[in-house]
Amino acid sequence: MATGLFRRAVSRISTARFMLARAHASEAQAQQVEPKARSSPTLKTFSIYRWNPDSPSKPELQEYKIDLKECGPMVLDALIKIKNEFDPTLTFRRSCREGICGSCAMNIDGCNGLACLTKIPSAGSNTTITPLPHMFVIKDLVVDMTNFYNQYKSIEPWLKRKTPASVPGKEILQSKKDRAKLDGMYECILCACCSTSCPSYWWNPESYLGPAALLHANRWISDSRDEFTKERLDAINDEFKLYRCHTILNCARACPKGLNPGKQITHIKQLQLSSGN
Amino acid sequence: MGASGGPRLSGMQKEVLSLYRGFLRVARSKSAEDRRKIESVVSAEFRQNSKKVDRKSFLYIEYLLRRGKKQLDQLKSPDTVRLSSLNIGASETKNPNP
Amino acid sequence: MALRAAILRHVRVPVQTLTLIGPRLKRPVPYGGSLRFLSSHGDDHLTKEEVIDRVLSVVKSFPKVDPSKVTPDVHFQNDLGLDSLDNVEIVMALEEEFKLEIPDKEADKIDSCDLAIEYIYNHPMAG
Repeated sequence: MATGLFRRAVSRISTARFMLARAHASEAQAQQVEPKARSSPTLKTFSIYRWNPDSPSKPELQEYKIDLKECGPMVLDALIKIKNEFDPTLTFRRSCREGICGSCAMNIDGCNGLACLTKIPSAGSNTTITPLPHMFVIKDLVVDMTNFYNQYKSIEPWLKRKTPASVPGKEILQSKKDRAKLDGMYECILCACCSTSCPSYWWNPESYLGPAALLHANRWISDSRDEFTKERLDAINDEFKLYRCHTILNCARACPKGLNPGKQITHIKQLQLSSGN
Repeated sequence: MGASGGPRLSGMQKEVLSLYRGFLRVARSKSAEDRRKIESVVSAEFRQNSKKVDRKSFLYIEYLLRRGKKQLDQLKSPDTVRLSSLNIGASETKNPNP
Repeated sequence: MALRAAILRHVRVPVQTLTLIGPRLKRPVPYGGSLRFLSSHGDDHLTKEEVIDRVLSVVKSFPKVDPSKVTPDVHFQNDLGLDSLDNVEIVMALEEEFKLEIPDKEADKIDSCDLAIEYIYNHPMAG
């Protein structure tokens, strides 16, 4: 008993000296910061759309107050903080946290965007987070992407050839100039921000392909290695599939990757004209 | 053939019945044993929901319809041979007043 | 290992077996679905009596139905105490009995023995 106490006392002394210097520094900091932080933590309210299919009731906005001083700068940081510290039932998709996976697409203060690339708006105002508009909700901020993916699938997003590659088993080469034609399209991550911001897509989500799928259609139409350009153009030369685009250009505003799907759709329309369709 | 006697079906009710019919139809394409299993699971699910779900909670019914259609699509594939269900939190799913 | 084999045996269910279970009833011999004309009232078409007979048998063999209550003009929900899901099941059983596929629009209307008999009797493909 006694030896135990003694030992502990000794070890405390030896570490105490070491700790002292550091404790000083942080205490000094804390003393400067704490009175301010105590009186004014930078609180911000997030109103987040909640709906749980397992206890069915009407969807509602739930409010969470967060101290921005203890939170990362992005909306996704706030969501993760809420899920970790306040409410583990809050449901949302996220993965890469750097704008390359497209999982965390949602509507933040009325604008579609990726939560991981959107800075938390200033503390003064309330921020409302809802699922992508006009999509079926599976739970909270998670929406059903089936239709969106099926539309992407329908434009056959793969290289199609009529002639075999000149060197069998090797890649088909492309000039730098031809490759450059794919810029502004290959970057798309299929997050659905553009399609779900498009009023035309809201009204005809089944029959209009939407900006994302059409951008990808143009990506393959413009690919110098693809030999089904004509067939691709014919397949989408449809009053609904293509021509529901009225160049509203919400898509370009919404795109978190800075792409312009509207421009690509216009390109398809021009090709349709010049190919005599 | 006009409607006779029975209660008029709403559009949503028709959708539910059509979905149920779809499941029973796809069950026919599976082996006898799997067919029986699919029928019992599907029938139990529909009956439980017919009692549990408030007929006015349209949002929820629409959700269930969408989920059901998705499951039906999966079941339609010839590669899918069977369907099984998992009872999570049995006390919760039991109907208190059947 | 034995367990794995057992599971595999179960998992590899052959798809080609399209067994018809459900109320397969003894039926008069000549109607094997062999030679049938597409006209709705050829000589080989089902007689009304036969349709009535087989419809009633199907309904009577439905687990929740009291067979003594089944008559040709009985209403499934009002008279037999069935619900709309049972109704679907009965119509599906009738489909199998007569080798038909009844479209949703029609199937929703069939809610009594009467309408079922009428529909099947007038259907050119009923066998």
